Amino acid sequence: MKKIWNISLAVALFVGGVYVYADEDEREHARPMQSKPLSKQDQSAAALYKKECSACHMAYQPEFLPKRSWDKTMKGLDNHFGTDATMDLADTSTVQNYLMTYASKNERITDMKGAVALRISQTPHFVREHREVTKKMITQPAVKSIANCNACHTKAEAGSYREREINIPNHGRWE
Amino acid sequence: MKYLSVLLMLSMSLMGASPEVEQYMKELLSAAKAENKSFTGFDAARGKEIFISTHIGKQGKPMSCTTCHTVNLGNSGKNSLTGKVIEPLSPRVNPQRLTRVKEVKKWLKRNFVDVYAREGTAQEKGDVLTYIQKN
Ligand code: HEC
Ligand code: HEC
Ligand code: HEC
Repeated sequence: MKKIWNISLAVALFVGGVYVYADEDEREHARPMQSKPLSKQDQSAAALYKKECSACHMAYQPEFLPKRSWDKTMKGLDNHFGTDATMDLADTSTVQNYLMTYASKNERITDMKGAVALRISQTPHFVREHREVTKKMITQPAVKSIANCNACHTKAEAGSYREREINIPNHGRWE
Repeated sequence: MKYLSVLLMLSMSLMGASPEVEQYMKELLSAAKAENKSFTGFDAARGKEIFISTHIGKQGKPMSCTTCHTVNLGNSGKNSLTGKVIEPLSPRVNPQRLTRVKEVKKWLKRNFVDVYAREGTAQEKGDVLTYIQKN
């Protein structure tokens, strides 16, 4: 299971990102992306995504959800998890294109049996990966919500989710 | 000349707003006059009331601007929905604030909807910006 995440992340293109993959015996490695350099336009779209979608929480990596999820999210920003996250039309379409370009293409990790996941934390694969994480670890004030990836994954904002980088507040390292 | 520009910078920092935001305030002023014949000008005291009073917001729950920004604009706040820290709103403490019209418009639209379950009027926006500028 672990491997599926890692492969989908390794395929991802993210500016300056470092992604994780595990080999057969589950040892983890990080390797810099072998990505082609981004065009000027892509760079500015990435910067806009980062700025706009990190105003209220960290900017989640687009690779965690499929196109249909991002499409639905971007069409519903006026009621985004109970808040208004609208921006002007030009910025909305730049961010939408960016998300669509880097969305997950791996059906196995994002399949919702016909339903469209708006939350990464709803996808069955995510739920499985986090089954040992207790409710208490999540609801404590220092974490507050499972959506606060960076409260536990110390390098989440850089796109790295290795086990040894996990540090759960008031609980400690995971290994 | 030198004195003049120093003076200009000083008075700009006292106003706590950039030329583009000052221009936006002028636009709000004419829009407020058009909305309300008896309107005579923006008022920081009315702005404070807009900022600290509680309303039933978008989520159907009591909410106020201070829920996220706290009552002291010089302090950092916290997004009540996500827990993310919000840098101080006061332009005096945080010189980035009220410098870009695009940001100001975007957040006033979002935040009025969150707190008042509707957009703000030109007068409300001008009043609350006047209050923020002075704090
Ligand atoms: C005005 C604040 C705000 C902005 C701006 C914002 N969001 Fe959110 N977002 C939220 C809130 C509130 C939640 C729910 C958080 C929770 O449940 O803890 C959320 C949750 C999410 C989630 C679900 C996380 C999970 O897996 O549980 C995704 C995905 C998401 N946002 C994407 C985006 C994208 C993409 C953008 C930029 C277009 C964006 N957000 C901009 C407020 C915002
Ligand atoms: C309360 C702490 C906590 C939060 C919040 C959290 N995680 Fe995790 N996450 C964990 C733990 C612990 C594991 C390791 C599970 C295991 O290996 O048994 C994990 C595992 C993962 C993995 C698998 C890593 C691997 O080694 O293959 C990914 C990917 C991941 N999380 C992404 C996320 C994302 C994205 C978010 C936010 C939407 C998030 N997590 C939020 C604690 C958390
Ligand atoms: C749900 C939380 C929340 C509430 C409630 C809220 N705000 Fe905000 N506000 C934010 C966030 C988040 C930002 C942007 C954060 C940043 O730029 O650091 C912001 C930014 C702003 C800005 C932009 C300033 C600038 O130039 O950068 C203004 C003005 C503002 N808010 C006014 C208000 C007013 C007036 C209200 C009440 C009607 C209000 N806010 C209620 C979360 C909130």
